[in-house]
Amino acid sequence: MKKILNGNEAFAYGALAAGVDFYAGYPITPSTDVYEFFEKYGDEFGVKFVHASSEVSAANMIMGASIAGARALTVTSGCGFSLMQEAISYMAADFVPCVILNVMREGAGLGDIPRSQGDYNQMTKGGGNGDYQAIVLAASSAKDCMNLPKVAYELSEKYRNPVIVTYDSDIAHTKENVEVLERVNNDIDKLEYTLKGNETGKPKLVQNIYYHDHNYDETLKNKYELIEQNEQRYSEYDTLDAEIVFVAFSICARICVEVVKVARAKGIKVGLIVPITLYPFPKKAFENLKKCKKIVVVELNILKQMRRDVEYFTKQKYEYYSISSMSTCPTVLDVMNFIEEIR
Amino acid sequence: MYDLLCAGCGHRTAMMLLDDIIREKNLKEKVILALDVACCSLLIDYVDYDSIMCAHGRVLDVTKGYKEMRRENVVISYMGDGAAYSIGIEEMVHAARRNDDVFAIVINNGLYSMTGGQVAPTYVDVAYSGRENGINSSADDYYKEKGFKIEDIIGKFSIKYLARAALTDKENIDIAKKYISTALNKYVNVGGFNLVELLSPCPTNYKMTPKDTVNMINDKLSKVYQIGEFING
Repeated sequence: MKKILNGNEAFAYGALAAGVDFYAGYPITPSTDVYEFFEKYGDEFGVKFVHASSEVSAANMIMGASIAGARALTVTSGCGFSLMQEAISYMAADFVPCVILNVMREGAGLGDIPRSQGDYNQMTKGGGNGDYQAIVLAASSAKDCMNLPKVAYELSEKYRNPVIVTYDSDIAHTKENVEVLERVNNDIDKLEYTLKGNETGKPKLVQNIYYHDHNYDETLKNKYELIEQNEQRYSEYDTLDAEIVFVAFSICARICVEVVKVARAKGIKVGLIVPITLYPFPKKAFENLKKCKKIVVVELNILKQMRRDVEYFTKQKYEYYSISSMSTCPTVLDVMNFIEEIR
Repeated sequence: MYDLLCAGCGHRTAMMLLDDIIREKNLKEKVILALDVACCSLLIDYVDYDSIMCAHGRVLDVTKGYKEMRRENVVISYMGDGAAYSIGIEEMVHAARRNDDVFAIVINNGLYSMTGGQVAPTYVDVAYSGRENGINSSADDYYKEKGFKIEDIIGKFSIKYLARAALTDKENIDIAKKYISTALNKYVNVGGFNLVELLSPCPTNYKMTPKDTVNMINDKLSKVYQIGEFING
């Protein structure tokens, strides 16, 4: 069945289809639609909804639910996401799966609610204390919002690691026609590492203070190596013969898809790489480039956060350009003019 | 296994009491032990329950998430007074406000013991005046004398059980066992929020002998932090 849904609503339906059975959250714009969805419809779909007293609480509650075998979810934005870093760091350290949606706000501190992608560094470089990474998936359409929760839960349970899904408020609030996936119920007994009470005589422990006894170092290294080898995901548009390749995600990717069409119609060889995993960074996408000379990273933050990754992972062998601003998304015409300038 | 806890530590007594009660009630296979950090977390080596080491002050959040998904399990929310009444006071107040299904044990010694005995909000000057650096400079004079008491904070809430005992001599430990047992019965049979606070000796950080510590708690501290059942609904 198709419905006209905004990104947040699509994400909520996508989470239902992924088997979510526990939601704890605290309202914050521009993510609140998801909170309201589960507050309103949680009972109907058998999802336990808890209004947590803070984002700190919400994130720790989903840790508890996940330890019990749930597909647990919390959704937040901006400063709320910062408050969750404690629990995310704990879950990464203790091998507890979870999915967190961060609908990005503009700027630092309180910031504001327009479109922005300023949380790129925080999400992809850890964000909390210590030696860890969360897997980060970026959505660029309501369809992505519908489909990514299932991918997110599967990855989080496979690697026993937190997964963050992210997009900006343009994707969150743009309504699109999208195929609604059917509700699937999660079996909370399916995972062998779920704590159920010591029935076997050998207790299960969720902890990381004794990690040196358990080859923790090697285990962690292996986990992240496997993630980086196996889980790079991206979409590509006309990259094979492209001389100028754009890199963009979320709303910027949507603009760039149009740019590729317009430029190609004019005979300009332009391509586009849309990272779906922001961590692990999809460096494999760049290995297929045959004719590329220039890379343009389009992103909504002033520090050119993603461009640094692009330059690093492509070993600085191209000419790099940025179209970046805190929250002003370029139009197709702006980008076409930019192409003319750098050709 | 070598002993991780100090001589005269109240955690040992508390955990032995809990373990006794759990075994008497034949609940061992249902128990999930949710521990706070620092000295509390050492107990993970003393018992063979499925256990979770939570972030500091977040035991009641983790408990809430777990219990919502597995209502048949018995979650012991075990924490110190720093976790319960300082960094985790928000979690405490809202768990009590929601009357969450909670069986909480709070070990109150007025100090941050693992980090060397810095004073917690529960510290009162009169009780530990023999200690070298025991001055609760951050508290209002009222609390230095009267104490920061959980019954003053959540005592009017619609919760099931709230009591305080002391882990000192046989008489007091028997009372503690009775309170813990009552709280656990209510938790299993009725649900709702049940909390037992245990005044607990920390001779290492009081810089007293275990015997003097016990006497101090009996003679002075339990006059400030009264022993008894405050809510038994």
